[in-house]
Amino acid sequence: MRELIQSKAVLFFLLFILCCSSCTKVDYTEIKDPAYLRVFNNLNYLQTMGNKDEKLPYFCLLINPTVDADGTITGGEIVGDFLNKRDAYAPPYPSHIGNSTTVDNPEFPGKQNVLVAPVLNGFDLSSWAQVPSGDVRVMFAYRPKNEIPFLKLERHLRQDILIDTVLNLGSKEVYTMHLLQTDFNTKAHGLVVRQENFHKLPLSDSLVYVNFYNMSAKGFVDADASLKDNDYRLRSFKGGIQDDMNVYFSLYETEANLNHNGATIPGFKGKYLTNLKRETNSTAVSPYVSFPLWASTLGNRIYTPIWQRFEFLAPGIDITANPIFPSESETGGNWAVVNCLRNGKIELQSRDNGTILPNLLVNVHSGINNPQTFATVNTIEVVNGRVYLTTIQRKYPAPIY
Amino acid sequence: MITSIFYLAKFSSKIVHLLAIACCLSMLSCDKPDLTVEKPNENLRPAADFVNNNFEMTLFSAALKKVGLYEELNGAGPYTLLVPTDEAFNEVGVFRASDFDSMDQDSLKRVMSYHILPRRLRDQDIPINSADIRYKTMEGSELYATYANYSPDGNNVANKLFFSGAQATRKDVTLSNGVLYSIRKLMKPQFEVSLQAWLIARSEYSVFIAGLKKFGLWDQLAEHGPYTVFAPTNDALAKIGITEESLGELKTEGYNGEMLFGCYVIKGKHFFVSDSDAFATIATDGGYMRLAGDGVRGIQFGSTVFFNKITYTLTLYSVPSISAGRIEAKAEYDVEAKMDYLCSNGVIHNLEQGFITVDLAQKDASL
Repeated sequence: MRELIQSKAVLFFLLFILCCSSCTKVDYTEIKDPAYLRVFNNLNYLQTMGNKDEKLPYFCLLINPTVDADGTITGGEIVGDFLNKRDAYAPPYPSHIGNSTTVDNPEFPGKQNVLVAPVLNGFDLSSWAQVPSGDVRVMFAYRPKNEIPFLKLERHLRQDILIDTVLNLGSKEVYTMHLLQTDFNTKAHGLVVRQENFHKLPLSDSLVYVNFYNMSAKGFVDADASLKDNDYRLRSFKGGIQDDMNVYFSLYETEANLNHNGATIPGFKGKYLTNLKRETNSTAVSPYVSFPLWASTLGNRIYTPIWQRFEFLAPGIDITANPIFPSESETGGNWAVVNCLRNGKIELQSRDNGTILPNLLVNVHSGINNPQTFATVNTIEVVNGRVYLTTIQRKYPAPIY
Repeated sequence: MITSIFYLAKFSSKIVHLLAIACCLSMLSCDKPDLTVEKPNENLRPAADFVNNNFEMTLFSAALKKVGLYEELNGAGPYTLLVPTDEAFNEVGVFRASDFDSMDQDSLKRVMSYHILPRRLRDQDIPINSADIRYKTMEGSELYATYANYSPDGNNVANKLFFSGAQATRKDVTLSNGVLYSIRKLMKPQFEVSLQAWLIARSEYSVFIAGLKKFGLWDQLAEHGPYTVFAPTNDALAKIGITEESLGELKTEGYNGEMLFGCYVIKGKHFFVSDSDAFATIATDGGYMRLAGDGVRGIQFGSTVFFNKITYTLTLYSVPSISAGRIEAKAEYDVEAKMDYLCSNGVIHNLEQGFITVDLAQKDASL
């Protein structure tokens, strides 16, 4: 009997140790009544000999920061550090987390480990961060380009603030925030906070939606070419576009043919889409225009290889009688072209003046289909000599292997 | 039934005990190798002693002793020393310790203090691909650090570090009370001296000064800058036919002063010659093109580096484009010791070649 009690005691003791040691308490961070925020740094100016005294557009974003008596930032409720110039493509999921080797963040939240927005009305908003709603103080502070976290920098490096403002963010609303240059000559900066409405609209999942913004700085298109980025891949966009442009688009049958003279889908060649005006102050959402996902009759309704070409033409230029030579990139801002196909990292084989972005459609492995094509909601933004694509996708079934 | 429970309990307690023993044994039997950890070097010297014991830095050490900074630099610190090598001192005409005796001791002390930062500035503390990051020196004024690491596409890794135009040849040498960098040439801060005052103090630029005055370009050099001036010597100007006498005869209305003498002055910019080398990495373009005084041509400031020796170049193009322009005039200079005089309102570089001739600056009579 004694032995039994003894052995039981040992067993209970072991059980007790196990119970104690195996418990971990996880404190989940929670933001009550959050707003959803995604931030882009559109300050895409270059670092050259001529502007070496200009500060590098590399920031730390702070929401509700704490500042001590001498103006040094000491902390913040939400810190988005290493905010670099934005990438040409803002993907539907923060996929750059997994495949980058630098601390540079092309957007906020991007690589930041923060609470992200849930699925809203079918749209996966994992590229949006949860931030407190109501009046929030937002600060963009310049930071040097190194790998030291902002709050560990020397004191004098934590005092250089570009923007310090208070915003009123609504609970459960979706916002995109753009840091941009409003005037190319005076170098004035501005902030555009856009309250998005795509999750409230009755958007069909068999149509692809896109809206356009021209958030270029005033005077960029008229500025001297030596002050602009001469990256050959920007092609017809490198000089910027005029303040008032018409947008046309064409749908091509297949991404396999890297040729802008290739077959287009009947009825989708040089179609007028919308008018686009330069605007750096408005927070209004541009209306979405759409085209059918299954425009091509060649597809099997699971996958379609179509791609898009958007042409920006100054009013008065007829797309069917465009006077500018097809491969001319010095167009005076009167004609700019962007081709959206594959992953945006390829070049067309035809002589063309279009810059390249990824396809608006998302082709991924979903369920048993590999690939399956999904309709998306997109935003194309022109900022000075660059054009950016943001794609938002609905939640889709996980792949079955 | 009861007996079987007893039996089981007895059996399980045995197992528990056995397991406990096995566990103890397995722990005890762990191999514990006697690891020896590399000890950090405990014999690091303080700054002044390190410099004194280095055959490449004897003149810097002598200067420290001369101005009475030696003892201080062996103190607690931390310090960052930017030490020009003896060769760098030789280039500015200092060959032995006694040469410091003839110098103004206060000025020498200020220049020496400019080569010391009252902090520990390690290589990794300097932002990558940065230009003109300012650090306070022991003298009280600031120096400019430029770090050219790699080109925008990530290739062309250079990691060239410059302090006020002087390239660091050896970085991040650990001292017991700080860090030491060895630099290839002496930094030449002129402190409160303006570009105008600097030029007046040197007789070899008298023709240049006369030319600037004649065309109304002189007064700006006393004002707040910044400016970059490539100062041609009298000999240099004489080679392209500009002398005191010829200037006197020149009629100002017939010539474009912004071309003839303005070509040596870049307004609104302060360039060390090394900036051109740095931006050849940072922006893959180390040239700075500006519109020439006639509003048609372009003048480019650039540099070439060959076996660590930098040559700066001023080139006049028929239009402000390297690809489209035709070269019409050129001047270059390669003595590093006479570049990068940092004045209160800009940077000045010596030039021993004339650049734009009188013919090129002539106004078109037909216009």
